[in-house]
Amino acid sequence: MIGGSPWSRRAVAAMGIFGLVFLTVPLIIVIPMSFSSARALTFPPPSLSLRWYETFFGDPRWMEAMWTSTLVAAISSVAALLLGGLAAYGLRRGTFKGRDWAEGNFMAPLIVPTIIVAIALYLALAKIGLLGSFAGLVIAHTLLNVPLVMMVLGVAIREFDPRIEQVAWSLGASWGYTIRKVVLPNLAPSVFAAWIFAFIGSFDEVIVTSFIAGKYETVPKKMFNELILEVNPTITAVATLLIVFTVLALAAVTLILGRAGKLKQTLV
Amino acid sequence: MTGSGIRFIAPLLVLMVVAFNAPIVYMLGLAFWEKGRGFTLEHYEGLLETPVYLRVLGNTMRIALIATIANVVIGYPLAHWMRGLGSRARMIAIALVVLPFWVSILVRTYAWIVVLGNGGLVNRFLQWTGLTDAPVSFLYNELGVTIGMANVLLPFLVLPLFATMIRIDDRLLQAAASLGAPPRTIFWKVYFPLTLPALAAGALLVFILCLGFYVTPAVLGGGRVPMISNLLDTLINQIPRWEQASAISTILLIVTLLIFAAYRRLDRKASA
Repeated sequence: MIGGSPWSRRAVAAMGIFGLVFLTVPLIIVIPMSFSSARALTFPPPSLSLRWYETFFGDPRWMEAMWTSTLVAAISSVAALLLGGLAAYGLRRGTFKGRDWAEGNFMAPLIVPTIIVAIALYLALAKIGLLGSFAGLVIAHTLLNVPLVMMVLGVAIREFDPRIEQVAWSLGASWGYTIRKVVLPNLAPSVFAAWIFAFIGSFDEVIVTSFIAGKYETVPKKMFNELILEVNPTITAVATLLIVFTVLALAAVTLILGRAGKLKQTLV
Repeated sequence: MTGSGIRFIAPLLVLMVVAFNAPIVYMLGLAFWEKGRGFTLEHYEGLLETPVYLRVLGNTMRIALIATIANVVIGYPLAHWMRGLGSRARMIAIALVVLPFWVSILVRTYAWIVVLGNGGLVNRFLQWTGLTDAPVSFLYNELGVTIGMANVLLPFLVLPLFATMIRIDDRLLQAAASLGAPPRTIFWKVYFPLTLPALAAGALLVFILCLGFYVTPAVLGGGRVPMISNLLDTLINQIPRWEQASAISTILLIVTLLIFAAYRRLDRKASA
């Protein structure tokens, strides 16, 4: 590459490694801390124990939050996948007036500060009396997840040769049949990746949920509220579980996209 | 399929108009409305007359700017270093940047309490080396908030920047070298200008995200480092002043969209 003296190469390497350490060290430190026997957050932990995991799994409020989070994530990720997937297909394959506007609008929840989405939904849901309802929560999560789904599937659909679909239609297949039997099987790895991303997105959502969920507790909402009040080591156990969950989900995505040879286009 | 694409986007369009566009329009409306009197600008006048709001606004701008600069200073060398790695090491480095991106913001923010706290890793290290006697307070002040935000947003800068750097043809740099340019000149006259649009786009994106940041200032600032989002939270959930909150949200939304328009122009340049 840009030759440079050994000294300047070493300087770049040092700064690069510092950057990686800065990014990853907090995550790595949390894991041993979750096995600490002490109440205070001292590093390294004085001795090991599973007490914070016992506290977490033994607390019915945490378990209920876990259940709510899973349920909301399951419903909203599937809804986002269906609606976002269809829309991504329509946007990539169709030509109609206002297409750019529609696409910009679908991606907007990614750019509009989440706090504004939270406030707008809070005010609107309060107006129609749905503040604190389960339906409101699921709808909010769905629209926040749509951009993620559209990004992943938009790329995949663009890469998929439209002539293959045209062959199917010319042989007399209907739209629905073509999508089910031709498009979906080919896009399956990307659809799976999009679903995982949407699930993680919903499972981790905290801002909008804190504003509109009312009596419903999700894992991030409960975590956030506890963090504001006091530093409670149970959170280290929750954080570790969330890190493990993310690693496993990303590993699954990498594996499936990698097998389909689609890893590069989706991640970078 | 001219025209028929509409059928596929219709369901999502309905959802977005009802559950996203309408609430935002309603919120914008509240900011310009007073019961019984109709259109008004008094909620905006109220903002200008309240020093607290202006102070929070200034705070937010300053923290966002510092966090963005920190991102550039840490992110550029990181992306550049990743470009020069072998393919295996590069895959590992990419994974280490992508993973934090997907881990909950709460987890990443909380992790800094563990790392920066009085008994945390950094303070233990500082005391062990004898640099300080008493623990340095990183938490519940602007320093901690800035560190946390820079950390959370770093992947947003590094990933697109790296994608741009990796597309730069090595032969271009070799050509410059064969014409006798020293490495420093090649870097500043050839390489850096090619990465500048992506760097600027990434920095703008990070800045926008900083402006609306909520979780990190709330947790690492411990209520002592209010940013716009935390002020909005107070105005909605604690002292209900919905009109005032709507007015501030409108300003934040307009500023964000303006910066985003600039980002789009740069981003198109970067990927062209």
